[in-house]
Amino acid sequence: MDHAEKDKHHIIDEGHSHHIIPSGKLVMTLVYLVILMGLTILAAQIPALLPGLDPFLQESTGGRWLMNLIAIGIAVTKAVLVISIFMGVKYGTKLIKLYALGGFVWFLLLAITLVDYFSRPWEPVQGWEGVPSSSFQRDKRSTDSTDPEGQIPSRVPSVEESGHGGH
Amino acid sequence: MSAHAATEPGHPEVYFQFEDIDQQQETYIIGMWSFLVTEIMMFGALFLIYTLYRWRYQGDFFLAHQELDWKLGGLNTLNLLISSFFVAWAVHFAQRNKRKEQLMCLGVTLVCAALFLVIKYFEYSSKIEHGLYPNSYMWHYAGPASPDAARLFYSLYFVMTGLHGVHVVVGMIIITTLMILIATKNRVITDYVPTEMVGLYWHFVDLVWIFLYPLFYLIPK
Repeated sequence: MDHAEKDKHHIIDEGHSHHIIPSGKLVMTLVYLVILMGLTILAAQIPALLPGLDPFLQESTGGRWLMNLIAIGIAVTKAVLVISIFMGVKYGTKLIKLYALGGFVWFLLLAITLVDYFSRPWEPVQGWEGVPSSSFQRDKRSTDSTDPEGQIPSRVPSVEESGHGGH
Repeated sequence: MSAHAATEPGHPEVYFQFEDIDQQQETYIIGMWSFLVTEIMMFGALFLIYTLYRWRYQGDFFLAHQELDWKLGGLNTLNLLISSFFVAWAVHFAQRNKRKEQLMCLGVTLVCAALFLVIKYFEYSSKIEHGLYPNSYMWHYAGPASPDAARLFYSLYFVMTGLHGVHVVVGMIIITTLMILIATKNRVITDYVPTEMVGLYWHFVDLVWIFLYPLFYLIPK
């Protein structure tokens, strides 16, 4: 009954084998995760620490998308580490990998909803004002936080623009 | 494999519908992942809502989030990462049939979870004191963000972290149950798979928090 000694990576016991993740690897993963967490916190302070970056972070150049990209990138890296090593997906069968991947692919599909909101400033399209579903009357500028129309444009079109058919 | 298999650890019974023990164990893990996918769907929708409103009110969200203490949130993140490590370590020991170490690791996970809830209690109580919770009658926000955006932000904050907190509580109950079953050498636990399944759930809880933390506490200027 010395299968614990035989090897730490495989237990062959009556024809069943599974991969045991060594403790050292688990500890290293934790260390990486903590380092990444520190990076995230650091990254969030960058706009305050490096005021020289402010020109890149203005609304006109796309806002804070770079900062957000960095933050999401670090979070995704941490997630991949947790999923592949702590949850054992890296050493699992292909079916397990499929399920793990599938969940997050679904989330990407959900994110396609953002296309709707992203494309709203492009309405109305010239020549299509008459078609009921493709254009809105945007005669009200909703710069205040209460938004009675329930629209969430990514860029609020001004009163003068709404007559010109979007961007 | 006999129908009444031995109940000692390391010799689990293979039920008749499975070809071998590998397939049986894989099936249990797939089952747990199926559940986790539904959880991804639930939290995913909430993340989408958050994304949309933060897109719309970027500046206000930054101003409103300053009331939150990122250090406490960071402590909680560290907490959950460590608890995740210990639960993965518990699975490691379960695979090597080391009951005592397994129980110790699960115990530490439980302590980390309790600590998480304690820190959360402090955070919530300070917010509730100022009336910054959903549907509050004593809404008293004196910060620079527009009050409606702040209200939106804190609604999202309480719903998402609250739902996550509920998952933490449920996780604690499940881990406690598992510990009792292992400690009393219950017949139900025949191999490492139950521990692995509980571990998967707990890692998912950690995963959600990994995303919640930067989104709520670390909004860049």
